[in-house]
Amino acid sequence: MFKLNLKIALRSLFKNKVYAAINIGGLAIGLTAFVLMLLYINHEESYDTWSPDLKNVYQVREKHSFFSPDNEDHWQEVNDSRMANLVRENIPQALAVTRVTADWGFSSGYSVKIAHANPIMVTGMKDADSSFFQVFPYEFLQGDSESALNAPKSVVLKESLARKLFGTEKVLGKTLKVLMWRNDPGTDLTITGVVADPETPQSVSFNALMRTGEEDKVPESASNFHYCQIYARLNPVADTVSVNQSLLKVYTDHQKKSLIKRKLEYNEIYKNGKIPGLKVIPLQDVHLNPPFKLSWIEKLRPVMGISIFLLVISIINFVNLATAQSVQRAKEVGVKKVLGVYKRELIAQFLLESALQSIISLFLCVVLIEVVLPSFKHHFNVQLSFWLNPQLKMMLTQLFGLFSLVTLLAGFYPSWVLSNYNPVAVLKGSYESGLKGVLLRNALVVFQFVISITFIIAIGIMHKQSQFISNKDLGFERGELVNIKTNYDESFAEKLRRIPGVQYVATTTQVMGNAFNVPEEIMYKGKSINMNTVTVSMDALPSLGVKVLQGRLFAKTYKQDTINTVILNEAAANLIDEKPVGKSYNIKDGNKSLVFQIVGVIKNYHNEGFDKAVLPTIYKVTHLGGMSSTNNLLLRLNTSNTGEIMRKVQLEWKQAYPDYPMEYKTMDDIFADLLTENKRFLNMIILFSILSVSLSLLGLFALSTFVAKRRTKEVAVRKVLGASNLQIINLLNRSFLVLVLIANLISWPIAYILVKKWLDGFAYRIDMPVYPFLMATIVSVVISALTVSIQARKAANGNPVHALKYE
Amino acid sequence: MIQLNNIEKYYANKGIKNYVLRLVTTTIKQGEFVSIMGPSGAGKSTLLNIIGMLEEPTYGSYEFLGEDVTSLNERKRIELYRNHIGFVFQAYHLIDEMTVYENIEAPLLYKKVGSSERASRIADLLDRFNIVAKKDLFPNQLSGGQQQLVGIARALAAQPSIILADEPTGNLQSAQAEEIMTLFKKLNQEDGITIIQVTHSEKNAQYGNRILHIADGVVKEDVAILS
Ligand SMILES: Nc1ncnc2c1ncn2[C@@H]1O[C@H](COP(=O)(O)OP(=O)(O)OP(=O)(O)O)[C@@H](O)[C@H]1O
Ligand SMILES: [Mg+2]
Repeated sequence: MFKLNLKIALRSLFKNKVYAAINIGGLAIGLTAFVLMLLYINHEESYDTWSPDLKNVYQVREKHSFFSPDNEDHWQEVNDSRMANLVRENIPQALAVTRVTADWGFSSGYSVKIAHANPIMVTGMKDADSSFFQVFPYEFLQGDSESALNAPKSVVLKESLARKLFGTEKVLGKTLKVLMWRNDPGTDLTITGVVADPETPQSVSFNALMRTGEEDKVPESASNFHYCQIYARLNPVADTVSVNQSLLKVYTDHQKKSLIKRKLEYNEIYKNGKIPGLKVIPLQDVHLNPPFKLSWIEKLRPVMGISIFLLVISIINFVNLATAQSVQRAKEVGVKKVLGVYKRELIAQFLLESALQSIISLFLCVVLIEVVLPSFKHHFNVQLSFWLNPQLKMMLTQLFGLFSLVTLLAGFYPSWVLSNYNPVAVLKGSYESGLKGVLLRNALVVFQFVISITFIIAIGIMHKQSQFISNKDLGFERGELVNIKTNYDESFAEKLRRIPGVQYVATTTQVMGNAFNVPEEIMYKGKSINMNTVTVSMDALPSLGVKVLQGRLFAKTYKQDTINTVILNEAAANLIDEKPVGKSYNIKDGNKSLVFQIVGVIKNYHNEGFDKAVLPTIYKVTHLGGMSSTNNLLLRLNTSNTGEIMRKVQLEWKQAYPDYPMEYKTMDDIFADLLTENKRFLNMIILFSILSVSLSLLGLFALSTFVAKRRTKEVAVRKVLGASNLQIINLLNRSFLVLVLIANLISWPIAYILVKKWLDGFAYRIDMPVYPFLMATIVSVVISALTVSIQARKAANGNPVHALKYE
Repeated sequence: MIQLNNIEKYYANKGIKNYVLRLVTTTIKQGEFVSIMGPSGAGKSTLLNIIGMLEEPTYGSYEFLGEDVTSLNERKRIELYRNHIGFVFQAYHLIDEMTVYENIEAPLLYKKVGSSERASRIADLLDRFNIVAKKDLFPNQLSGGQQQLVGIARALAAQPSIILADEPTGNLQSAQAEEIMTLFKKLNQEDGITIIQVTHSEKNAQYGNRILHIADGVVKEDVAILS
């Protein structure tokens, strides 16, 4: 029985080749998008799952007490290093506590020298105290977790790095010289262990874990701080709620004492409902809850929605085509019923058919994934693989689940419709016994087109917005501007200035790609205002090429410029005064009050993404020629021959800092980086829209084929009665066009709301344009009319005699 | 075998009852060969469908093999289809996706007949109807008469005790029609299969041993044919 049904299923697939190809291919595409999403989600969810012992590992988070641009409370993972001892001494459930350097994200790595080889940059070099491997259960291939970090100046390598540096993992006792900045004399570290690379990604990731000794110290003065991340391994039976309760109590006491030592008022800091806070969160929650930024799940949400829609569209195609085609199968059902077949057997048969199609789609989908995975990985910058996935078993289970779901969704309704055919109706020759089916089919077509049209509208608007952004005036000249990743040093800067083609050498704490915001409260005419402050060298603003709106820029000729003059940006000026130049404000510094004079106002310039408004900012010059640790060295060139000049700069660098490689980026590249995320998102939306629109059109095409076929006789009779071809095409088109128009009406408000939400994420955005809406309507109507007409024309051109002779 | 009592069937249209069958009462015994005749629209097909349990009467009682059909559940009805009733249609109604062989095999599969038994029965039927050479062809590769032979072979495969045929030769030319009628007569006489057929042809009706004349839903005449 099963074999015969399978044979019938295959035969009817072959008989309706086009239909089957559309069905299966469409489903494969929908599945592929969905499975890619699954892969990505699995990847993100696999963070910190590489050992069962990680269940007992927790991250310590401190609630920050400073002013933040969005004025909200954040639990930050970078804490006062004193918190480590606080946890260690007061929480008996904590079996081990470790301090790890914070990921500041400024430096991409450290320079590593092995013997007399050239220095190379190694990323992921983390500093920790001796307890790191008591908290994190890494598997030691060389050395052991107990003693590896016992002595300071030791380092544990990941197997992959050991192989990269030495070609083997037998490296115990060898030394690495590590330079953390360009004129660091270097620290010799002894390799005391090699650990296996875990199978799944880690939120506390490293290539080499050092114990330089930095993380062992605690600053002596209460007003000095060292910031780091803190992790603890708790007793498996520990109750986090009670741990967090005692942490909060201990922390509040600590803050009170510390503030007294620092001569600060507890009630001054924690006012307006602000309260101190310290807590632990399970390590497995860390990756999902990054402080200060969107988590992966929030970023992924729109994409997840889109891929689910795509799958739904392809399932709808499947259902629509299957029910439309069921007319052809009606006879089979009727006959089988009078031969004595149970309804459930018929349902099983048709489910088998949809299972057959979905399993072919699934195979196609696996092939497609192999094809598109490389570009997907590149696009999202993640390491993913299907067959080599450590969670392959889970993936396969999910795929099987998906397969069953799709089979049921796609197959159940058609099988149910089919198995309900009344044999008498069939024997009487009327197969059209399901107006209900037609209604549902129309509803599904409308739904499909709502999705597709919404996509088309979204592309139009998103395209306009991204054009707006790429052409937006940044407020500074990004061409021929280079940022070297290093701090300002007067004598080195002087050498660079001598290179012909270099116009300015300067530094600032705030430039696109590396902006460091320092909040400050100023008093202006008795009002206190929150501002962002930026420290620059004398030449920084001219080298950025900012536009002066009022007053002047800093200049050497004004002695007081290195002492107490400031320049405001427009946003800051708006908060202070219409004509601020010449006026002054105060800031409190302990008991003293310092006075600053405003000498100029510049146009706002962008240094962060366009989702953020430019902060009201005060620019100051320091007498040092810049803050010592800006990690920005700006070069303004007055020639477009960047490559040639950078070669000369490189030579100077090699002479000055032979043990540290130079890293730099042009401002054009940095700007492009800033736009990539949006570009990616837009590209993906475009790709998905094209897919969804073509799937919908394919579905419409196949559906119109069936409708045309079913109405062959009607068309033939009408032709014999004298209808023209055009009239017949119109006849067949009309019913579909009504559906597409309805879909348009529904999509407009949906698209408006969704795109509005997206646009609201930008501080700088276009007004909602009208023409993408009109365009989407015209495009959808024209394309679907063309699609249906292909079939309608065929029907209209056919010789009526054929249709009437064989009915 | 079949006992119809006061069978009525009507379709309600805008509140008006359109009677198709009125007070039909008749008995058909095992081994009879009955032809139903009458003008178009008289209700012949409707009566046959009711006998075949494809339609339900609006009123009246119907016993098949001593069992009340109106209270029969689906399971029981399907059992009757599998074991007792064979249908032959005017439009053949072969399953297009199956070969001749598979079409004949289908009812045996539903009846769960063992595979060797199945093979021998089908071979037998193919032989008997002279269509061995056609067994791997699909219905659309056969002539109308051949299709009808396959349809009959399919009806016989499950060895039913009764065959219901609605104008089985309606689409065929007279030579082929004669062949099929002869076959029906043989099945009736040699195998004792009960046959009920609807026909427009007086000549075809003569092959049987009883004719029911129907007009406007009423049995007008019930004549026995003596051969
Ligand atoms: N679904 C229905 N709704 C309304 N009336 C119906 C329906 N089905 C059949 N009829 C009516 O029942 C009557 C009998 O139909 P039936 O098919 O039994 O006729 P018939 O005797 O087989 O005719 P023919 O020789 O043309 O096949 C007809 O008048 C027909 O119009
Ligand atoms: Mg009839």
